[in-house]
Amino acid sequence: MNFPLAVDIAFILLALFAVYTGWRVFRTDSMVRASFFLLLSFIAVGAIMLLLSAMYLGVAMFFMMGVEMMVMALFMVMFMMNPAGLNPMMMVHQHRLAIGAGIASFVIVAAMALLARFPHRPLPADLQAVPSLGNELLGESMLIFESVGVVLLATMIGVVVLSSQRGRYGNAGEGSMPPGLEPGGEPAGMPAKDDEEGGGHHHCH
Amino acid sequence: MTLTTVLLLAAALIGIGIYGALSQQSFVMLMMGLELILNGVMLAAVGFWAMSGAGAPEGQLLTIVVMAVMAIEMAMGFALVVAVYRGKQADVTEAIADLRH
Amino acid sequence: MILDQLVWPLTWVLAALVLGPYLLAVLDGLVARSLGPTRGPGIWLAPLSRGAWWLIQHTNVTEAPDGRAWRLAPALYLALAAGGLALVPWSRTWVATDIATSLVLWGSIEALATVVIFLQGWSANTHLTLVGAYRYVALGLSYILISMFVLIGVALPAESLALTQVITSQQELWNVLRQPLGLPLFLIVGLAITFRGPFNLADSTDLAGGTSADVSGAQRLVWEFARSAMLVAFSGIATTAFLGGWLGPWLPGPLWVAFKMLAVLALLAWLGPAFARITPERCVSLMWVVLLPLAFVDLIWAGVEALL
Repeated sequence: MNFPLAVDIAFILLALFAVYTGWRVFRTDSMVRASFFLLLSFIAVGAIMLLLSAMYLGVAMFFMMGVEMMVMALFMVMFMMNPAGLNPMMMVHQHRLAIGAGIASFVIVAAMALLARFPHRPLPADLQAVPSLGNELLGESMLIFESVGVVLLATMIGVVVLSSQRGRYGNAGEGSMPPGLEPGGEPAGMPAKDDEEGGGHHHCH
Repeated sequence: MTLTTVLLLAAALIGIGIYGALSQQSFVMLMMGLELILNGVMLAAVGFWAMSGAGAPEGQLLTIVVMAVMAIEMAMGFALVVAVYRGKQADVTEAIADLRH
Repeated sequence: MILDQLVWPLTWVLAALVLGPYLLAVLDGLVARSLGPTRGPGIWLAPLSRGAWWLIQHTNVTEAPDGRAWRLAPALYLALAAGGLALVPWSRTWVATDIATSLVLWGSIEALATVVIFLQGWSANTHLTLVGAYRYVALGLSYILISMFVLIGVALPAESLALTQVITSQQELWNVLRQPLGLPLFLIVGLAITFRGPFNLADSTDLAGGTSADVSGAQRLVWEFARSAMLVAFSGIATTAFLGGWLGPWLPGPLWVAFKMLAVLALLAWLGPAFARITPERCVSLMWVVLLPLAFVDLIWAGVEALL
């Protein structure tokens, strides 16, 4: 398959952008920024899919990942001590191992890409990508499609069960403490407990 | 743009994703690593579909399935984060080390 | 006695109570006239002079904002609006972006708009803008689903995801009549995506301007311009999806599109101020409990109609 020069240039730029933003995800101070960098990486990959004439999948990447990363950013702000990213942040463990594993997996997959011989069978000129996908989804692969739907439904139920306030051991929020100001520290915002009985010695705040 | 270059890009994304998934302490950042891996997988699937599979519709179907896997991964991940946060006030992987036993 | 001690003081106080605020308002107006750009311009010049005012206004800076994102967010919103406008077919052949999945692309523009508006509110690093951003996301995640179902309903009779096909499928009957629930639901989406009128949760006055609270100068100009541009793009899509686009007798197609877009814009401009703003909680409940099931009904209607 021979692409025009403009497509090649666009591919190179998008590929560099996707790798750069993907790398920035783990190198930025703020988690909100990280999730939006990831979104940019997804958008670049979606645009490459459009270049490969997967019209539906490329556009689907945009809206799927737009909503997904939005939700991700929300959760970031909810759980992180440093959502705005004003302080430098580096929360990593087993860093060397991770770098090694990342490079090793890149080398292995890249070697497969470079050394293996794949048949050269480009898209037929008259292929209509979107109708072909639709016919497959609701035709021969109906069972797969329906199974995915059932799994998604099961996920919804599981998610509600996991995150719902009421569990079979009582209210999930019961007895839970607000997080400490430093890791492992005293719960923040809780009044000091008087354990001595009849102490009668109350702090006034 | 050839199949090899597309696969190289996919390999780079998978490599960065594996680094992120193994190195990050925060659950949410860990999930970002997983998503980046799936990003590379989807790109490779579309690349094979367009250049080596002669447009067989199963190639696109595989990508749709990976997208659904991504959605499931994220929903379950966030539900687990919420559950762990309720119990332990923590959002880092070290906090649930006692699940090993 | 009574006159001196009760009636006159009461009258005096009441008169002051009524006249004082009125005079204050007149004074405010005089001050605004002597300082601001509201002197002179009629309705045709007022937007221009306000734009010029924003352009030369000093640009506000907050404490430690995410500078790049803060500068980029209005421009990105404008870019999304431009992208939406590029999808509108003006005639059978006159389409800027004629791809097979333009309807889905509009859906992704709506989804990305949520991200951009959140970015605008978050990156200023101030309290009220972040509250506005959060409210918008709550709203955005709700209206996106409604929009998707309504648009799927439009795609069903067209048997295509391309907007040009959607228009040609309306040769006999426009979708506004064929799917009576579609256009009202879609107009609500339009008000929500540009946070106007009853759905102005993000930039509302109770947040002192919300996402645009700390934005001034050229940045503010771009932000407000992008909001309006997004509404124009939305009216183009609404025209295409429900009002038959270029279809119409006597006149050439592009003129019909322009007329219909103007009509949708006028309707939206009237709908915005005609309804009071809803509180965020009730707004989200309304979206999920009432409007989303209505969107389901619309989709079932479209499906049954396509089968018959």
